[in-house]
Amino acid sequence: MTTLPTPLAPAGPAPELDSGAGPAPRRAGRSDPSAGRRGTTRPPRTAARAKLTPYLFLAPGVLLFAVAILYPITQAVTMSFFDWKVIASATSEFVGADNYVRAFNDDRFWLALANSGIYMLLTVPPQIAIGLAVAVLLKRRSPAQPVFRALYYLPVVTSWVVVSLLFKYLFADAGLINFALGDVLHVTDGDTSWLANRWTALLAICALGVWKGVGWSMMIFLAALQGVSRSLEEAAIMDGANRWQQFRAVTLPSIWPAMLFVVVMLVIGGFNVFTSVLVMTGGGPGGQTEVLLTYMYQQAFEFLDFGYGSALSVILAIVVFVLAVVQLRVFRDRSGEAYA
Amino acid sequence: MTRSRIIAVALMAAAALTVTGCSATDTPSDGAVTITFWGSYGNGGNSTQQDALNDVLIPAFEAEHPDIHVEYVDIPYDSLLQKLTTSAAGDELPDLVRADLGWVPQFAELGVLVPLSQEMEDFDELAEATYPGVLATNFYEGEYYGLPLDTNTRVMVSNQAALDAAGLSAPPATFDELRALADAVKGTGAYAFAENKLQAWNIMPWIWSAGGDIADSDLTTSTGYLDSDESVAGVQLLVDLYEEDAIPNLIVGNEGATATSDGLPGGQYATILDGPWMRGVWSGQYPDFDPVYSTIPAGDGGSVSVVGGEDIVLTQSSANRDAAMEFIRFTQSELFQIEMVKTGQMTVIPAFAGQQNEIEPFYATFASQLETAKNRLAIPDAAKVDAILQEELVPAFEGTISVKQALANAAAAIDPLLPGAK
Repeated sequence: MTTLPTPLAPAGPAPELDSGAGPAPRRAGRSDPSAGRRGTTRPPRTAARAKLTPYLFLAPGVLLFAVAILYPITQAVTMSFFDWKVIASATSEFVGADNYVRAFNDDRFWLALANSGIYMLLTVPPQIAIGLAVAVLLKRRSPAQPVFRALYYLPVVTSWVVVSLLFKYLFADAGLINFALGDVLHVTDGDTSWLANRWTALLAICALGVWKGVGWSMMIFLAALQGVSRSLEEAAIMDGANRWQQFRAVTLPSIWPAMLFVVVMLVIGGFNVFTSVLVMTGGGPGGQTEVLLTYMYQQAFEFLDFGYGSALSVILAIVVFVLAVVQLRVFRDRSGEAYA
Repeated sequence: MTRSRIIAVALMAAAALTVTGCSATDTPSDGAVTITFWGSYGNGGNSTQQDALNDVLIPAFEAEHPDIHVEYVDIPYDSLLQKLTTSAAGDELPDLVRADLGWVPQFAELGVLVPLSQEMEDFDELAEATYPGVLATNFYEGEYYGLPLDTNTRVMVSNQAALDAAGLSAPPATFDELRALADAVKGTGAYAFAENKLQAWNIMPWIWSAGGDIADSDLTTSTGYLDSDESVAGVQLLVDLYEEDAIPNLIVGNEGATATSDGLPGGQYATILDGPWMRGVWSGQYPDFDPVYSTIPAGDGGSVSVVGGEDIVLTQSSANRDAAMEFIRFTQSELFQIEMVKTGQMTVIPAFAGQQNEIEPFYATFASQLETAKNRLAIPDAAKVDAILQEELVPAFEGTISVKQALANAAAAIDPLLPGAK
């Protein structure tokens, strides 16, 4: 890192550095001898130095990526093939694919994977539907619009731990949800132990996930909606399309790339559910609400079984990766249709 | 300033911050050594123990040893184990740790602890002064890796008002009396008994009191012990009460239920099992609550509770072992032990027990319970045993399998974790 500033610093106010992301054609022009002669007193930049410049700009990002992402990933993959000893001085035994075989024969792993999948399935569609609906409503200019935009986005920037504790109290036996359902609405007896049963507990955790995530998808959709062509909308109105037809034929195809982005990110986020489960149920009762990451956390940090924990996280990474690729394929085909 | 200059300066500033961030020093300017001590004395929102340590004990030690500074770092109990683990991996452990007695074999197995029985010349002398049952929690493969710091046990704590409402004058003293209490509380709106979890700390008192056990004394097998008729009887008592709605579903891990620490003073729970530290917690949060302490209801095996407490251990990361061991000696002194008694910690040295009960008569119940209290499995995989018990026993409470079957499943899962079976 320390070598980085040196070649850049003496370059002084080089004009091509100001042109941002797309300087390639201009830089080619610069290395042309005639262009060099145009520079008054300063010596012409050498071709080698010009070639180096983009790499130097990439270096900090690449370095950060290598240190913070790439190295931990390779380390986790390596660890998953060992009976990993946490202490550096201890020798870890190579066990081949044993950790993976163990996972596939582990009922608790399948339960955790299923719970992660259920969470994903129950949280992604509502986040998209509600997020899009709110974005469409907030698209209209009104004095209250910024206030509502901030309010809907507020849960996104709030700490997971804080809101998980909040939802834990809401769904507690003597919590507000039971009070509302029992004493106010008289729908139930008001004595539901939400967090004591696998399905009701997952429902509570999903409710938190949706509430916290809607603001994020709303923000993306709101930005995408600004890009919908006004002339297309007007043409649709001229053709006599009603609101719903406008939305289906004009708006939806126009924001399709944003939709793809939101779906892929939400699916990844759904499988990565962790804090809310750890705080709200701790995986209980009896491990029935354990999700993949809490199970991995238990194996690695409570039992110090880092090899198995790493194998579980590698499996999760593969599942998420495959799902992302499949979604990109499916969406690419669909978007082609939509535009045709 | 040009953009490139700004980038250069920013990069250098970032590099400078990174470098200085890593360079903490161990030696203060006056030439004295600093030893770091991690613990969770501040647990439970009660600072009296931490205050005693920081304001009385450490100054007293430093006055006696002007060349040693002691820096105590308080870490919440719930995150201490994880912090120790990551620090062990990074070789960044402090000199001394106040470790839950269940963790010592786990960390000894990792090789991050110094075997005190080898390193300290006066170890035998210090060890002999402590309760043997508590000392035993430091033993791993032929060596002792720590010394007991404080001990405790669980006794029955009752809410007199809830007992009165059920028409009982005294807390239940036997299994049968607890069953009677369950019948008597019906209609009063209170539960007869409440428990937070189904781990060894929670259920072993009932299994031992019923005459059962979790494994043989040589730690070769759990099957035949944990699923014996006696062990089944202990757990069956709880399952029966659960089915009668005399125990809340907190016991199976309902995080939404009222915690025992709130439910007992609130009168929702007539009885719970808990340790001596709760007095300090309740005196702050429920000043009007007057808890009644009694020994655990007796079954066919008597009234047998579980030993808890903390050990002090020296880590391999320590650069100042002699200074750290000097502090370990200090923790075994009368000054340290008695000062901690005043804050709710029970002494590990029987010679001070009389003095302890004089200072706080309330300890008498705990002291007599300690006489028969037993250790949980002192094995590196103790955390797995807890997870197994919790997960295998929940179905028995939910009524999907029998207690016998649940305990047999748990025993089969625990068998391979026992060192005698490996």
